[in-house]
Amino acid sequence: MRYVCQICGYVYDDEKEQVPFEQLPDSWKCPLCGASKSDFKPEHKERETAEVTVNTEAADMKKLSAGQLAAVCTNLARGCEKQYKPAEAELFNELAAYFTRITPAINDADAETLSRQLQEDIDSYPDVRAVADRNQDRGAARVCVWGEKVTRMLSSLVERYLKEGEQMLADTDIWVCTVCGFVYIGSNPPEACPVCKVPAYKFEKVEGRA
Amino acid sequence: MERKAVRNLRLCTKDCLCLYVCPHGATDTEDSIIDVDKCTGCGECAAACPSGAISMVPVQYPPQQPKTEEVKACLNELAQSKSDGEVMAREIAKATDKPGLKRLMKAVERSERLIAEDIMREAGFMLPQGDGSHELLEELISNPPTSDFPSGKAGELLEKL
Ligand code: SF4
Ligand code: SF4
Ligand SMILES: [Zn+2]
Ligand SMILES: [Zn+2]
Repeated sequence: MRYVCQICGYVYDDEKEQVPFEQLPDSWKCPLCGASKSDFKPEHKERETAEVTVNTEAADMKKLSAGQLAAVCTNLARGCEKQYKPAEAELFNELAAYFTRITPAINDADAETLSRQLQEDIDSYPDVRAVADRNQDRGAARVCVWGEKVTRMLSSLVERYLKEGEQMLADTDIWVCTVCGFVYIGSNPPEACPVCKVPAYKFEKVEGRA
Repeated sequence: MERKAVRNLRLCTKDCLCLYVCPHGATDTEDSIIDVDKCTGCGECAAACPSGAISMVPVQYPPQQPKTEEVKACLNELAQSKSDGEVMAREIAKATDKPGLKRLMKAVERSERLIAEDIMREAGFMLPQGDGSHELLEELISNPPTSDFPSGKAGELLEKL
């Protein structure tokens, strides 16, 4: 049997390894991206997507929420930076800060509720992907591929934290890929991002280590 | 398509070939940013640069690929969910005094924003100077979400882009 990492695509082939996948300890990690054993799935077990129906009301620009607009504005700020337009980037960042400030709070959030939220996202990606495909929108399909992998990693890490607690992060750093959002635990960032393939210098360390 | 040269300071190794080849002295500046007023877009500097540090960037970008309503609707909803995740992570990070959890939640907050940015880019907001961005800024100025919306900044952007 072959098992595939749902985050980076690494294949664990029972025939080529000493230890069958099922017998690996739960603490085993993907050698490429650090994902947990539970992030591996047997090869070729495709989920069937039923015909997806979409309520197109949510497409209306006038209905965008503060949270969505914050992301629109930081995205456009980054677009301006890439075009070497620092003044425009700064203005979009100021609009983004305004929207972040007025985004409503979510009360009583904890790691468990966040974990459920991430799982819901993982479950909705295949439907969005189906809609992207039937519209032949490869840009939207790419967003689904990257976003689903990164979300799986986030979910896997939050789950691990819920099991292992503070010791999981006591002696190590946390890195975020500034292009796709992939999160990596380790003393150094990976040579290339397992999701979007950018080089290590695009990773940023999360500060505040005790 | 009219183009201008821009130098990526991160890649530039200061080999200075671009200084020798520019017929208008546009590449020789005290802040290393190529002078757009002098640059005529001939492309000599980009061809000469040994580090691939100069791009010839269009002055006007083509419109983004059109997006269907159903793709936009799905992506918007996904972005909302990502924004909710970001807010949760931010609040958990703020409330906790556990250093590991705080860092992990800061990472999730950042990551969820990056994913949402990417989603919104594909939902019609790819280009700062595109139609989607213009319509949005105009809409925000005529119907500000709250009384303290910085309309001045939005107006400034409309003028510049
Ligand atoms: S030729 Fe390229 S590397 Fe050399 S100074 Fe010019 S931009 Fe920089
Ligand atoms: S494109 Fe031509 S004019 Fe513009 S900076 Fe390069 S060499 Fe000079
Ligand atoms: Zn992996
Ligand atoms: Zn990445």
